[in-house]
Amino acid sequence: MQPIITAKNLWKTYQMGEVTVVALKDIHLKLYEGELVVILGPSGSGKSTLLNIIGGMDKASNGELYYRDTPLHKADDKQLTFYRRNDVGFVFQFYNLMPNLTAYENVYLSAQISQSPLPVEEMLEKVGLSDRANHFPSQLSGGQQQRVALARALAKNPAILLCDEPTGALDFQASIQVLKLFKDFSETYRKTVAIITHNAAIAQIANRVFYLKDGMLDKVERNENPLPPERVTW
Amino acid sequence: MLWKKMIRDLKENKGAYLATIIIIVIGLMVFTSFSMVMDNLRLSQQSFYKNQNFADGFIEVQAMPPSEIEKLQDIQGINDVQGRLVKDVKVLFPNRDENVYLRLVSVDPAKKNPINGVQLKQGIPLSNKEMNILIDNKFFEANNLKLNEEIEIIADGKKRALRIIGVGRSPEFIYALRTSSDLYPSPESFGIAYIPFEVMKTLFPERETMNNIVFTLRPGADYDNVKERLKPELKPYGLKSIYPRKDQTSHLLLTQELKGLEATARVLPLLFLSIAGMILYIMLKRMVEQQRGQIGILKAFGYTHKEILSHYMSYALTIGILGGIIGGILGIALSFPFTTLYQTYFNMPGLTSKFSPLYLVLSILLSLGFSLFAGYQGCKGILILQPAEAMRPPAPPIGKKTWLEKITIFWNMLTVQGKMAVRNMSRNKSRSIFIFLGIMFTFSLLGLTWSMNDLSQRMLFDQYEKVETYDVKVSLSNPLNQKKVSRELNHFPGVTRVEAMAEIPVTLKNKWYKKDVVLLGIPEDSTLYNILDKNYNKVDPPKNGLLISERLAKLLGAEVGTKLNVESLMIKDPDKAKQLEVVGVIPQYLGLNAYMDINSLQEFLGQGELATSFMLRMDEESIALLQNEFRKSAAVSGIDDQTERLAQTKELMASFYGMIFILALIGIITGFAIIYNSSVITLSERSHELASMMVLGMTPAEVLSVITFEQWFIGIFAMLAGIPMSQILLIGMSQSISNDVYTMPTNITASSFLIAFFVTAASIWIAQRFAGKKIQKLSLVDVLKSRE
Ligand SMILES: Nc1ncnc2c1ncn2[C@@H]1O[C@H](COP(=O)(O)OP(=O)(O)OP(=O)(O)O)[C@@H](O)[C@H]1O
Ligand SMILES: [Mg+2]
Repeated sequence: MQPIITAKNLWKTYQMGEVTVVALKDIHLKLYEGELVVILGPSGSGKSTLLNIIGGMDKASNGELYYRDTPLHKADDKQLTFYRRNDVGFVFQFYNLMPNLTAYENVYLSAQISQSPLPVEEMLEKVGLSDRANHFPSQLSGGQQQRVALARALAKNPAILLCDEPTGALDFQASIQVLKLFKDFSETYRKTVAIITHNAAIAQIANRVFYLKDGMLDKVERNENPLPPERVTW
Repeated sequence: MLWKKMIRDLKENKGAYLATIIIIVIGLMVFTSFSMVMDNLRLSQQSFYKNQNFADGFIEVQAMPPSEIEKLQDIQGINDVQGRLVKDVKVLFPNRDENVYLRLVSVDPAKKNPINGVQLKQGIPLSNKEMNILIDNKFFEANNLKLNEEIEIIADGKKRALRIIGVGRSPEFIYALRTSSDLYPSPESFGIAYIPFEVMKTLFPERETMNNIVFTLRPGADYDNVKERLKPELKPYGLKSIYPRKDQTSHLLLTQELKGLEATARVLPLLFLSIAGMILYIMLKRMVEQQRGQIGILKAFGYTHKEILSHYMSYALTIGILGGIIGGILGIALSFPFTTLYQTYFNMPGLTSKFSPLYLVLSILLSLGFSLFAGYQGCKGILILQPAEAMRPPAPPIGKKTWLEKITIFWNMLTVQGKMAVRNMSRNKSRSIFIFLGIMFTFSLLGLTWSMNDLSQRMLFDQYEKVETYDVKVSLSNPLNQKKVSRELNHFPGVTRVEAMAEIPVTLKNKWYKKDVVLLGIPEDSTLYNILDKNYNKVDPPKNGLLISERLAKLLGAEVGTKLNVESLMIKDPDKAKQLEVVGVIPQYLGLNAYMDINSLQEFLGQGELATSFMLRMDEESIALLQNEFRKSAAVSGIDDQTERLAQTKELMASFYGMIFILALIGIITGFAIIYNSSVITLSERSHELASMMVLGMTPAEVLSVITFEQWFIGIFAMLAGIPMSQILLIGMSQSISNDVYTMPTNITASSFLIAFFVTAASIWIAQRFAGKKIQKLSLVDVLKSRE
């Protein structure tokens, strides 16, 4: 099967005056269609850096990165923008919704720039917020806002969904709800979902778990029988 | 340490701070340079008036013997009286065919501390024995004359030579205009010569009489009372006019100029400093809001309010000091060329500029005052923040529906970005108002300048190309019979049409209003002098009343149907009250006149068929011939060649264009600075939102469009509001500029609005492109790492 993302010998270094900070060191990995992966690792281990590079928000210092056959390491700003526009969905810990757009408009904003968007109403329905479509973010709870953010990412109909600590600001109930949506998305639409988390319990729902340590890919675990999100506890 | 933070913050937003400084600098440049020029002018005016004993009153009479004039000395309130003979003569320069005139003003070389004394710059004082003159320095320089050189004039039809033995100037001719319809002095073709009365009287047939009197008042004496006492004494000698210093042409124009300078020196800087203050206020307020976390931590560390406040105020301080110093120094530097420019128009001693520490200090103080005040207003929020509260993020911006959403058709037309923009506008009202005012200011300033450009062109060229369409105007020294002169001129080779004109000085009165003007009598079927109404339709000079200019109507509180009392020394029976009805009001931009059919006017005066000048249509080649022929005639006082006048005017307009250009530039820079700054502020304020959009895959251009949509939306309304605004500005400008010599029209042309629109739009567009560069540099990863 052809991988969606292929990373070869990926490095990221930051030059801070005389000190060189190595954020990523010789990363090799492949992500496939329809799989849900979880990235675990201590703070500062390079998780966000890796995800940002995969998502075309940042560029590696060295190495190769492909989206299907497209070499992203050679792409310029314009091509990266296009990649983000059509192929990638992001969900962050802080929802980053537009404060002065309603839930519906937030999702629509994202859908309108994509080449093959999914219907906005359907996405809101999927995240269970149809009745809140006309509310502004400040009128929604954190969990609801995160679900709008998710609907916004999904509405673009991206090939990959990248989530940086999506449940970091949510309580247990809200987290489970969001995780169910991720799982559902990867299974029903056959999309790739990558989730960064500090919560090891969440790793149980993943097909594969990547462990990062000091910027290196420490180990990769395959989960033959991922748990359905509703059965996860912590 | 905080000092370092400030430098970094300043660098990060250098464009915005730079723009603020530039606005301050422009304001202060205007302030310093204009104030300094004004001070220089005023000071030299005062000392010149005082040293040369400038007259308080001026009298023109037909002819009066010196012995009688001396008796006026005894009138109560009069300090000193001096009679003079004043006559304009033609100068014959070899190899020059344009008209050159000298005004001969008689003086008494023996008199101590004379009124309107001549300040000798070069050469020796006058003596009664020789044909010697002092000549005014502008004329002397402009015509490359030398001391002891003789110049030839035509006096009473005879060629005479006068020896220049000295160069000097008098307070009476600081701004030397030959006729009141001239706009600028033209020293090549008009100058003043001071000549002993004993010599001058030999040149003219009047012999022992004088035609001009100047007097000074005793301290505390009231001019109007003195005037009333003078009148009966002067009547027997053909009193033509009597007017106070404030109506004297040179004084009037100098005073006007000073007033204009003063107004500009006050209003413009205030405007610019306010704009700069506004920008500073917004920037600091935003910075304090954004850095509330940092402020909280500083407070938690134990920094006092004062220390933190002074840190934020140091931004305002830096900008204030920098702006003040640069603006002050540039302004002082600018005052030098400015003063030189004024030297070419105003002929006064002591008109020089020098470095003024006072104005430098004043500039810095002004700049600091505005910056610190604005800065404090922006920063004072710090004082009420509690450390714990400060470290908490500010209450999230609340999304709200706006009233505009009720207009469903409009709302549905908008893209989501457009909706965002509209909501942002109402979310940030004060910012929107600022942008609105800024664009309105730019637009109206541009509209105003271009209108002034258009209108001044119209003022001058209309007058010469549409109204006074004659080729040559021959003015008579004394009124003569219309038919006789007409016949003579008609026979002159090359002349195809002759029209007579009567120019009668009159005093028009209505209720308590009164005004001295020249009443023009024009033939009914005139084709050489066209009276035009607002729409450029020709109006015939009325037989049964007067046409008056709009400004005159205003000055007299008159309208169509008003009966005006007309007094004139040229009316046969001057003591009998006569009335004329206003039958029409017309625009008139050059001069201030009333019009009437010449025949009816002659009838009204009851002095026969008198004319004072003649307008000719003639071949260009014959003009020189005509000038040669009549140059020596005592009956002719002037021959004006229209093309010559037009060319001179065009040349003089060049300096006016310079001013217009500067005003327009100021408008553009201000508009640019305001748009650029508000874009940059918006960018940093909403970096989170904008970065989120870029993460979604929007291009920098699409992201920018959210901000630009907002500005264009506000911009359209601001420009619409700018239309009446520029009209108001123009009316204000017109009121401060207009005088008896010229009236500034107040109808703005559509083309100026079009130009104002395009230039404003262009400066908005360019400012947005600059701001757009910042979006491209926005680091997505960094912005999104932190919570909003
Ligand atoms: N702009 C930057 N300049 C210098 N170093 C950076 C920069 N961004 C990240 N780093 C460094 O790169 C390393 C990886 O950072 P990254 O944000 O990927 O960690 P993380 O695994 O996401 O941590 P956390 O779980 O705390 O979010 C860290 O050591 C960090 O200091
Ligand atoms: Mg991270």
